[in-house]
Amino acid sequence: MADIIHPADNPKIRLLNVSYIYSKGTPFEMKALDTVSLDIHAGKLTGIIGHTGSGKSTMVQLFNGLTSPTLGKVLLDGEDIWAKPKEIGKIRFRVGLVMQYPEYQLFEETVASDIAFGPKNMGLSKEEIDERVAEAASFVGLSPELMDQSPFDLSGGQKRRVAIAGIMAMRPEVLVLDEPAAGLDPQGRRAIFSGIKAYNRLTGCTVIIVSHSMEDMAEFCDDVVVMAHSKVLMAGSRDEIFAHADKLESVGLDIPQITRLSLMLAKEGISFPESLYTVGYASDAFKALFGLEKGGNA
Amino acid sequence: MPLIDIKNLSYAYREENGEPIPVLKNIHLSVEEGEYVVILGHNGSGKSTLAKLMNMVVDDYEFAQGEIFVDGINVLSEEITDEDVLTLRKIVGMVFQNPDNQLVATIVEEDVAFGPENLGVPNPELRERVDRALATVGMSEYAHHEPHRLSGGQKQRVAIAGIIAMMPRVMIFDESTAMLDPIGRREVIDTLEMLNREKGITVLSITHYMDEAARADRVIVLDDGKILLDGTPAEVFAHGDTLRAAGLELPQCTALCYELMAAGLELEGPFNTPEQCAKALAKAWREKVVD
Repeated sequence: MADIIHPADNPKIRLLNVSYIYSKGTPFEMKALDTVSLDIHAGKLTGIIGHTGSGKSTMVQLFNGLTSPTLGKVLLDGEDIWAKPKEIGKIRFRVGLVMQYPEYQLFEETVASDIAFGPKNMGLSKEEIDERVAEAASFVGLSPELMDQSPFDLSGGQKRRVAIAGIMAMRPEVLVLDEPAAGLDPQGRRAIFSGIKAYNRLTGCTVIIVSHSMEDMAEFCDDVVVMAHSKVLMAGSRDEIFAHADKLESVGLDIPQITRLSLMLAKEGISFPESLYTVGYASDAFKALFGLEKGGNA
Repeated sequence: MPLIDIKNLSYAYREENGEPIPVLKNIHLSVEEGEYVVILGHNGSGKSTLAKLMNMVVDDYEFAQGEIFVDGINVLSEEITDEDVLTLRKIVGMVFQNPDNQLVATIVEEDVAFGPENLGVPNPELRERVDRALATVGMSEYAHHEPHRLSGGQKQRVAIAGIIAMMPRVMIFDESTAMLDPIGRREVIDTLEMLNREKGITVLSITHYMDEAARADRVIVLDDGKILLDGTPAEVFAHGDTLRAAGLELPQCTALCYELMAAGLELEGPFNTPEQCAKALAKAWREKVVD
């Protein structure tokens, strides 16, 4: 039995000794994942972070059976998803994957029918489809009057939200998103991450987000998995992860500005009992340090 | 004379039903040679349109009003000649968002040669320009590589080299870091900063990353087609509420310092970077301990 990093009692997804090798047997052979064993906790919002080429996108494609591991097993609720390879399609309904720049995959005439496409394919009744479409749209903050518009008339950020709502409407047990906020402005990023968190909290579904942005991860995720050199460098609650900010820096990851600030101040002899990674936490900690009134807008 | 001088500029797109949609509203803006200017704004604020107009790469000039002088040439003049357009293209170089859409050749050095070759630069000068441009962006060792095997940041640096080889006086970066990972972003920002500081090239960088704005000489914030703020990073960052209302966010450390000041802590700025914020907070802490 392998040592599971960040073990859970009932993991939603468990990777057991998973390796993935690209172009095996050619001069371009590359090990994208190297004997990874990891638990994704049920109901949590987990962030996966790492450089381009660290193996994180490969890992994401293993979660829903888009690719199969070269070695090792991927378990969903304790069952090997590749036990019956012909039924791998069923796994894709249970684990929904939102790829990078999903707005390029919109194609229907109206926003509502685009979001409804997935649920329709699941054979749901019209009432149920309408209900799911409305619910998914509200999660991502698409207003009802947009529903009859063509998705191609929307802004980039809105299109992105339509694409994400389309997967949410299928209500997968696990929602996986690869760089959901890439290229969006700060308000667009916030809207997307808040919507994803609302989905996680209100449906109880497990959510996995891949992102480069440590600051977004720090603010929105419960758990964080850090990938480096085809392996899991660290995995744990965000408190545990950001307590090792120096380790994150050592592999060249961008730590949140606030965390960098607290590391610089620690050298000046000013240290805090907890790791700081959001403006809200830092503000409270500094107010306590300087004896200022708490409260105000974070 | 400013290198870029924009007067009373308004611009609108035509919607499918024929209605004009205003994108820029009565913009006044001058940029001196050698400045490093960041233009901030949320998606749809008009910042990309502004950049494209300066280099005449918009599709439709029907609803363009006002004047855009680039080194004395009025881009929006009806009497603009082909010669003027060619001069303009030599002065202004543009780097776009998606590195995959900007590379045309199958070998890196051929890609870099594409622009100057089209400007009619003969050999051996062409050869020299390509070599120098690749050296400038730190990509010489990749001269014979295939562009599609490079990382995003490397591709973007090759695209930049292709522009440098045309020896422009202004480079416009239109969200050139938006699709890159943090390492690629750093590579590109370091490159554009070096082009400005060491080569004297005027840089206009359009972005919504506030930490990039912190490194510029001057920051211009666009909202709803109008210039909302124009000043040094410190001057612009002092308007946190205005920035938030325009869909932007202060860098984390800057936001923290302003919040602590609002709560009554005395801090000495600037607060543009984490280093500056750490310095200010450490100083305040030492003063408190001495008390």
